[in-house]
Amino acid sequence: MARNRFNDTVAVVGVGSSPYGRDLRRSHLSLGLEAAVRAIEDAGIDKQEIDGICGSGMTPLAQGGAGFLSLQGALGIERCTWVLNGWLGSAFVYAASAVASGLCDTALIVQTYQRDPGMSRSANADPFRRALQKFGDVGGDIGGSDFAKRWVHSGEPYAAWMKRYMHDYRTNKDAFAYMAVNNRSHGSRNPAAVMQQPITLEDYHASRMIWEPMQIYDMDVPVDCAEAHVITTTERARDLPHKPVMVHAASLGGTRCGEYYENTLGWTENAHWVAAQGLWERSAIRLPEVDLFYPYDGYTIDAVGVLEAVGYCAPGEAGDFLKANWDEAAQVLRLNGRTQVTTHGGGLAQGRAGGANFYSEAVRQLRGSEGARQVDGAKTALINIGSFFHDPSAVMLRAE
Amino acid sequence: MRNYGPIDDFTVFELYPDIQLTHDNIEHYRALAERKLVINRCGACGTWIYPHRPMCPECWSWNVKPEEISGFGKVFMFTLLYHERDPGSATREPLPVAAVELVEQKGLRYLSRIVNCRPEDIRHDMLVRLTWIEIGNLEWPAFEPIPGLGSDARG
Repeated sequence: MARNRFNDTVAVVGVGSSPYGRDLRRSHLSLGLEAAVRAIEDAGIDKQEIDGICGSGMTPLAQGGAGFLSLQGALGIERCTWVLNGWLGSAFVYAASAVASGLCDTALIVQTYQRDPGMSRSANADPFRRALQKFGDVGGDIGGSDFAKRWVHSGEPYAAWMKRYMHDYRTNKDAFAYMAVNNRSHGSRNPAAVMQQPITLEDYHASRMIWEPMQIYDMDVPVDCAEAHVITTTERARDLPHKPVMVHAASLGGTRCGEYYENTLGWTENAHWVAAQGLWERSAIRLPEVDLFYPYDGYTIDAVGVLEAVGYCAPGEAGDFLKANWDEAAQVLRLNGRTQVTTHGGGLAQGRAGGANFYSEAVRQLRGSEGARQVDGAKTALINIGSFFHDPSAVMLRAE
Repeated sequence: MRNYGPIDDFTVFELYPDIQLTHDNIEHYRALAERKLVINRCGACGTWIYPHRPMCPECWSWNVKPEEISGFGKVFMFTLLYHERDPGSATREPLPVAAVELVEQKGLRYLSRIVNCRPEDIRHDMLVRLTWIEIGNLEWPAFEPIPGLGSDARG
């Protein structure tokens, strides 16, 4: 076993979400502040108890947007001993590790996402969104004009890997289809989801082709939204209103080929496998004990990669595995007969929050506060967010 | 456009205004402007190094120099673009983009276009060779099937 400084000593005590929508006509900061206020209120603490902030953005010291340099002043938080920006799933791990290390006692994570102008012609017609692209530090596209160096957009290598995966394992698109339908089924039961209509397997296969073999239903839905979380010590958490949801173990994942998306590595050497291995070297909770599973779904190939990386099935067998674990009546996955997957609908249905809404949902489920959508007796959740090219996270949360 | 070397640094910056040129990658672009595809190679252990980096990741030698590659490879992975995200760009559908694994070394993959081949005929592991296409008044490397081998060489 590797060292595990978390080991249930830090806990999520506050969760806050902004509304989700395709065009909320609000800034990153506005959305982030709403989520932050809700998370701090949910935690039941005074805002001055926050002494660490992880803001939004790929650039650690980005100014503007919902970076920490803007958030702290805008929230009126006097003093932080730890600050950083982050994105995808790693932001959560950065903040949890800051609390575990003692650099701060109570960390606020704020993650904002918007429907960027590069995502569609309609988004690009909005001058506010164009300004985001021009001045923003978040959500920058990978590629630019140099096709000799990189893909045209950051998403195409995922499509190419999807194709290579099907070729190498002589399989079809079943795995992607089950994942997409599962998330849309759950989304139809989540009032916060922008996609309220469930889809069928037939709908999936008939959906519009974007980057062959990737179809529109393989891709998360660009929205304007924010999620925020408050993390503190488990000791402090016991004095707060909600049942603590503890960080049991976590790992990030780096490979030697993260920078360039053509990736010199093979499918089972990618970053999700590294993060998953890092988690299993630290977690006393093993896969059969996982009640809820949250694989990132920026593209369905991400979720399939995570499923295989954490060990639910052998590489290339996701299609058969998901088919065998399909609840036909509910149109959802129940892994090994029980473990539900992405119970809020994920990016494919609730909307693209860079995985931040996966953490929010996991925490609410583990608190037992999801009402009609509550999964009975859920005590553990495995959350894997990020890209198989770069900075994935693997996090095990547990409730008592 | 056909460029003729030698080309000084200022000209490389003028030719590639959208590329973040550094001391580590400028030789690659200087060579592209001369219609040559070069990849950094370690002078000590022979490892091909891509992307453009100044030190060999295998033996940590700094004796790294760009070297022209043979131009042969195979299609490791590819996708067909039916939609371009950039609303300003012309939509050519479907546009094949690929990571070509060069014969010089396993895992040495170069991102490029596949040309002179119907999109539906592109196959994984298909043998391809270097050619050049003109985009934006500059010539860029692309790869095409090898006549008599191309579409038949299926993996």
